[in-house]
Amino acid sequence: MTGTVFDIGYQRYTGAREGRSRGRKAVFKDGIRIALGLGRGGRAKILPWFSIAALSGLGLIFALMAGAAKALAGTAQAAKMDLPSHSDYNGVAAVMMFVFAALVGPELLCRDRRDGVIHLYLVRPLTGTDYVASRWAAFLAVMTAAAWVPQIILFLGLSMGDPRPADYLAAHWLDVPRFLAAGLAMSAYTTTLALLVASFTTRRAYASVFLVGLFVITTPFTVGLSQEIEGPVGTWISMFSLTSIPVHVNDLIFGEISEMTDKIPARLLPAWVLVGWWLAWVVVPGMVLWYRYRKLTP
Amino acid sequence: MLSIYRLTLRQLSSPGRVGIMFVLAIMPVVIAAMVLADNDTMSLTEFEQFVLSTMLAGSIVPLVVLAIATSAFGNEIEDRTLANLTLAPIPRWRIAAAKLLASITIAGPLVVLSAVATAHVAFLGEWNATIAVAAGAAAAVVMYASLFVWLGLASAQAVGVGLLYIVLWEGFFAQFVAGVRLLSIRYYAVALMHGLDERRFEVYDHASLAAAIVMTSLVTGGFLLLAIRRLRRMDVP
Amino acid sequence: MTGNGLPGVRPNARETPVIRVDGVSRWFGSVVAVSDVTFDVMPGITGLLGPNGAGKTTLLRMMTGLAKTSRGTVTVFGEAVRDNPPLYRRIGVMSEHETVYGFMKGREFVTMMGRLRGVRDIETAVDRAIEIVDLADAQHRQMSTYSRGMRQRMRLAGTLVHDPELLILDEPLNGADPRQRVHFKHLLETLAAEGRTIVLSSHILEEVEQLADTVLLVVNGKLAASGGFRAIRAALNQRPYHVRVLCDSPRKLAAGVVKLDSVDAVHIDPDGAMVVLSRNVLDLQIELPRLAKAENVSLRRMEPLDDSLESVFGYLVET
Repeated sequence: MTGTVFDIGYQRYTGAREGRSRGRKAVFKDGIRIALGLGRGGRAKILPWFSIAALSGLGLIFALMAGAAKALAGTAQAAKMDLPSHSDYNGVAAVMMFVFAALVGPELLCRDRRDGVIHLYLVRPLTGTDYVASRWAAFLAVMTAAAWVPQIILFLGLSMGDPRPADYLAAHWLDVPRFLAAGLAMSAYTTTLALLVASFTTRRAYASVFLVGLFVITTPFTVGLSQEIEGPVGTWISMFSLTSIPVHVNDLIFGEISEMTDKIPARLLPAWVLVGWWLAWVVVPGMVLWYRYRKLTP
Repeated sequence: MLSIYRLTLRQLSSPGRVGIMFVLAIMPVVIAAMVLADNDTMSLTEFEQFVLSTMLAGSIVPLVVLAIATSAFGNEIEDRTLANLTLAPIPRWRIAAAKLLASITIAGPLVVLSAVATAHVAFLGEWNATIAVAAGAAAAVVMYASLFVWLGLASAQAVGVGLLYIVLWEGFFAQFVAGVRLLSIRYYAVALMHGLDERRFEVYDHASLAAAIVMTSLVTGGFLLLAIRRLRRMDVP
Repeated sequence: MTGNGLPGVRPNARETPVIRVDGVSRWFGSVVAVSDVTFDVMPGITGLLGPNGAGKTTLLRMMTGLAKTSRGTVTVFGEAVRDNPPLYRRIGVMSEHETVYGFMKGREFVTMMGRLRGVRDIETAVDRAIEIVDLADAQHRQMSTYSRGMRQRMRLAGTLVHDPELLILDEPLNGADPRQRVHFKHLLETLAAEGRTIVLSSHILEEVEQLADTVLLVVNGKLAASGGFRAIRAALNQRPYHVRVLCDSPRKLAAGVVKLDSVDAVHIDPDGAMVVLSRNVLDLQIELPRLAKAENVSLRRMEPLDDSLESVFGYLVET
């Protein structure tokens, strides 16, 4: 009879070591969990899920309004009414998207710096660039989902609310790539700005309030000023209405001016200016954000 | 109480933060100056609605006070230094009152000066109107401060809840549902302003001066009592 | 007044418990952190021990009134500690959290703590407290520039400034270097000798063993043992003592030792020493030299291997 004694003491890990890419994936996944409050108790879920529910609810309301109008007045009459569309949704939902970004964005960056946890990330095969890029990608994914899900609900509602859904789909299939593109423009913009502001403070409260102040205050201020100072100068001043920048891109994609940008002189500028301006407000803050993190060491 | 008051003043008044709040507070002054410079712009009604009610009372005052007042207790809880205060032989009401007073001391001058400058410029130096606007702004600061000091103590998501209150409740629902306005601090602050200078401002559908004064006292006292109660009952981290 | 300038405590303080914890439980949802714990704390030094997650900090927080109990009562100096601010004139608490007001200078912090606790002659009290913790040179620097050990010491100064009768310290030695540990031990011994009551939670068993008259061992939210650690050890009678014996002929001596009634087992360890497992060490102490003489074996050394707080802790945590 033979016997074996097994050494069950400390054993070294002999499996694969996946390196930086695995680290990036982990930070990305963790970023999504933070943004949605997953694995962190009920209270951490309230704000992000309430915001997503509010946005989805808005899409649903728009769909119901359009459906009711068609049911009561008929398709022909309904077509003459100014019913809410995908473009209008983005104009109205923009404020909620900004508030969502202001509330949730700072959670991804502020806490790690405040609690010193960032250094634990950086002792791994991860650089500051990896960390901030993964966090940015995670928040972009969440904001894009928040932008797209209500639009999908609205699209499904509009098509199913039509007496002939197949005809509706055939006539409006282009709305899908449009709202996807417009949603991505909105989410890239809000993600980058929210994370940039969060990178300047370790207190989430200050970052959130500053972001909301930035979005909410600049609009009436710049619009009011631009109406005062008419002409090209006034138009350029109105470009600094931060809530309107992605909405102009939305208007270009859908080919119609939304109510939110209806009175803003900048809406009349050429498309390449408006898109370039949006791009500048994504790329430049993104570069500043990257710059602030790239030199971090443990 | 003075020690806690001074401590809180130091905690809340870093130059960067005060600077940002100052920038926010100066905006309505600039707009008032612009409006005045051009006779062919908004009417008095539009000015009151846009600048005084929406911008000043609806955005700047609550945001400035939110940032400051939620941090009065919020920072202590986050940093786990609140026990330094609660483990002292001081009645809880003194701790809460000191925090509230410090928040008002920091936010009040910024906001009230902004309101005074805005009104003084817009109403061509007429002091009745200026005092009415300043009183409305001061009442708003006091009410918002008591609400947000309590919120900073009661919730880890104080800023989020506060922002939703400002943007959704006061900014959105109160516009469409009359009953919601009765539960809106902004409504009573603006009512106080109108009540103090009826001959200068047009009459709106708003509460009376007496109701505004009573509600200011009730809101301030009520949230202060809630903060004291919370301090007595909570587990201090 | 005593040698370090601290006034003494009232007489008769030894008669009644300073802290009474009676049937205390605390749960968080479905997690029971502390389960039906009852004990008294008398003047002197009491060490609160337990593995991580045992419930020590929760217990300390309930004893200081920072947390409420789910069941049971905690009284300090005969009064309920919860929602009783005037009681804090007599209590000094140092929590486990190391955060301080970074923007404050050390002296400012201690002064503020003294003012909050109603100290009258504030400058003298602050000088004394800072001198006790040996930070006079750094008192005018901002606390954000302090090392971890310095922050702990300044926090301790803030805890001592109002000269409390009861001190509750949660992990006070975190970040302290060896010299500071020695200094701190002397300080606690002096304070205890004056009749003060000190409750000390620590992971450093060796120091608690040297300092504490009484030990409270908490395991899984329950009070596993209380009292002097040697008395606790003696009470663990299902665990025989391990005694190591060095002699010139261990096997020869072992043959005789194994016959003793007080001996459970004997083995020879790899170093050639004899290790005896005995439930009656007193009897072994008497019989062993007699046996050695009878067998003509030279005894060199006899030492207990598990007569320490660490062993007691280990046995109680395992069970």
